[in-house]
Amino acid sequence: MVEYAIRTENLVKMYGNKFTALDGVSLQIKKGEVVGYVGPNGAGKTTTIKVLTGLSRPSSGHAYVNGIDVVARPREALRSIGALIEVPGVYEYLTPREMLTYFGRVYRMSSKDIGRRLKESLELVKLSDWEHKKIGTFSTGMLRRLTIAKAILHKPDNLILDEPVLGLDPKGIRDVRELIRQFRSEGMTVFLSSHLLGEVAEVCNTVIFLNKGKVISSDSIENIGRSIEQRVVNVKFLKPLSAEQTDKLKAIELVKNVDLRDSTARLGYDGKPESSVQILKRLVSANFDVVSYNVESTGLEDYYVSVMGEEKKEG
Amino acid sequence: METSGTSFRSDIFETYLSVKFELLKHLKRRRLLIVAALAIVVPLIFYVKVPSTAVLFADEVLTFFNILIIISAAMFAGDAISSEFERKTHLILFPTPQRRGTIFAGKYLAAVLATFLVVLLYYVILTLQTAQLFGWGEIPRELGKSFLVSLIYALAAVSVMYFFSAALKRTVSSTIVGFLSLIMVLPIISFILQRVNQEPWFIVTYSANLITDVFGVSGNPFNPGGHQPPIAEFTPKFGLGIAVMIAYTVVFLVSGMLIASRRED
Repeated sequence: MVEYAIRTENLVKMYGNKFTALDGVSLQIKKGEVVGYVGPNGAGKTTTIKVLTGLSRPSSGHAYVNGIDVVARPREALRSIGALIEVPGVYEYLTPREMLTYFGRVYRMSSKDIGRRLKESLELVKLSDWEHKKIGTFSTGMLRRLTIAKAILHKPDNLILDEPVLGLDPKGIRDVRELIRQFRSEGMTVFLSSHLLGEVAEVCNTVIFLNKGKVISSDSIENIGRSIEQRVVNVKFLKPLSAEQTDKLKAIELVKNVDLRDSTARLGYDGKPESSVQILKRLVSANFDVVSYNVESTGLEDYYVSVMGEEKKEG
Repeated sequence: METSGTSFRSDIFETYLSVKFELLKHLKRRRLLIVAALAIVVPLIFYVKVPSTAVLFADEVLTFFNILIIISAAMFAGDAISSEFERKTHLILFPTPQRRGTIFAGKYLAAVLATFLVVLLYYVILTLQTAQLFGWGEIPRELGKSFLVSLIYALAAVSVMYFFSAALKRTVSSTIVGFLSLIMVLPIISFILQRVNQEPWFIVTYSANLITDVFGVSGNPFNPGGHQPPIAEFTPKFGLGIAVMIAYTVVFLVSGMLIASRRED
């Protein structure tokens, strides 16, 4: 039997009788997976995360972390979680050392472990030099990195990140992305809520799409990638092709049509990976100077729009 | 899996951690320093005109002390819970392996301890002053009783502040509503009741008059935040006054804890 790192069963969260934030959300996240949780604002991403981290009680349904019910046994369930939710506040009059020492104690770490992990975590988020500085003097990016350091201080098995790059500059975004990649390589399960699809595509194995409190679609990045591939390859040549070369190109039997602009060609084909390989081989054997060759695909954005669009039509 | 024994031990440990963390925050925000400084400086003001006896001196120095207790309670408990939600620090504090009740209990206890420290400091200074002015032998026996009443009143004041901090969203409103309730609203109700010849025995600020009443000296010229007997000469009965303070402590603390535990964004 597969033991899931994070699992929810028909999670429902209602606010009064008027608004249903979660409408039967069931998730299954395997250990070591890096899962993107994607949806528009108000889809229910943060509500799911708040239920998973014990901040909010579900109206019905269950949420489990490492098989432990978050509502029934929050203390045990939350021990294996590190969480960064929305843009949290920090105690600006404290130093990172003072704040992290307290949280280390909360996680029942020994003084020795706290000292070691505090240094490691701050080093990982590039805040080592700020260990004894007042948090109130930190920039937005530094604050976000500090809250990530707090989330990983106890080396959790599961990391829950809710819009971790919100409000960060490009460098801050890159830093956080690098950190997530590092957590993935360390075998940590990461549940990443975001509305930035590029970020999700770069770091996640699986994407779950959520809208109006319901899971609409869930698949691996690989499968999504395959489904959004177009039946077109883009080829860039060193120089614009001569008339003779153009004819040669059109003569390649797997190529169905050619759209030529300057030194770039869009070649229509049957979409099979084997055919794409054959076309490249023929180009090389016919002495075409190929600079680049890639299968054209729509972005994850287009996939997102198509999935959300279907949901809208059904609604 | 946790048993009830390990769960209880965890509760105690987490409450201890929370108390320690809250006291660290009070220190770092210099709130503890400010109120402690007031507790040291205010008694010294009464050197301006020293009355003839030690009892009168103690009575005078303690006349305004209930205000300091209210200030202290407002500083340490007025935004204890509301600030976590308003400043969104609850988003890093709550998703941790500790019961929310232990965090809130720690906050309350830290506010009580800090206020007790202020009370202790004030009485130590007063005792030293009395000894210096009138000799150690002249220190009123009732001072201990007054100290005890002050501690119990501190519990009640902290509980009232804590309740508003749990019930209201904004730190400013929770602190101001709590502070005004004790410094103005309850004394006004007490005043009105006495005007119609009713003893306001159930008003905690009226019970707080026991802090000075235990000396048996009547006629404080001015007593804001406490009670000024304007028409009828009511004085709180010791046992009843203490019971009222304890009742306020229990009711406001329990209500505050319940509200805080159920509070979501």
